[in-house]
Amino acid sequence: MITTTPSRSRIASIVAAVSLLLGSMAVAAAAPSARKPTTHTVVIDATKFQTELLTVKAGDAIVWVNKDPFAHTVTSQSGGFDSHVIETGKSWRYTATKKGEFPYSCTFHPTMKATLRVR
Amino acid sequence: MKVSAIVFAGSLLCPAVGVFAQGPNDAQIAAIVVTANQVDIDAGKLASTTSKNPDVKSFANLMVTDHTGVNKSATALVTKLKVTPEDNDTSKSLKAGGEQNVTNLKTLKGAEFDKAYIDHEVAYHQQVLDAVDKTLIPNAKNAELKALLVKVRPAFVAHLEHAKHVQSSLAKKGS
Repeated sequence: MITTTPSRSRIASIVAAVSLLLGSMAVAAAAPSARKPTTHTVVIDATKFQTELLTVKAGDAIVWVNKDPFAHTVTSQSGGFDSHVIETGKSWRYTATKKGEFPYSCTFHPTMKATLRVR
Repeated sequence: MKVSAIVFAGSLLCPAVGVFAQGPNDAQIAAIVVTANQVDIDAGKLASTTSKNPDVKSFANLMVTDHTGVNKSATALVTKLKVTPEDNDTSKSLKAGGEQNVTNLKTLKGAEFDKAYIDHEVAYHQQVLDAVDKTLIPNAKNAELKALLVKVRPAFVAHLEHAKHVQSSLAKKGS
């Protein structure tokens, strides 16, 4: 007679894997998940940051999208963050962890000014 | 002093923008845009290799990259719109003025070169902005062409301010 019963060791390994999985899920569920971080977008167009003042919560991410036909930067004067060159059609993502108010500009076009407020 | 230098540099630039009886058509506007950018790219390339001043050099490099980008967009748009840029008195005048500027700059060195290049850039951007505001945007028929002009205009304002900033720092250094 041909048996299809899985071997004892295989069952044991499946049980171990499942319990590991459940265990990690339980840990994840227990972790403080007060708020899911949000991703905000700031469009750079016509040599301008289209959102001049953006307020986010610490942990949120901001994506700057360059829709101009030439490069820009997102550079905080106080040194909080600096994208360096964002080429045309490209974007730069930054996760804001430090709270405060960060005025920033484009090093190539200093007429471009905006502020990121992290609460 | 600064104003008179700008006026003087401006008077050296001969392009008579706005000589159209009925305003330029889209094909002519396209030629003016492409030529105006190209003229600044050519001067920028020369300044980038000739100048030893880091501020002048970085300004020149920015002119090359920004105006190259604008021209890429303009060329892509006219290709899409099936518009063939049409040479006209303004575009020819811009080209001749640009060639004259480069010829003049090639005879200069050091601080003299830097001053002449930057003075010309200040006057040139002012003049191009005037043309964009008074001739090109009001006459552009195609909505996308008009939108492109509106979109790139603030970059020329930023360039003008940047050029003025370099101009005043050169003046302080020279005095």
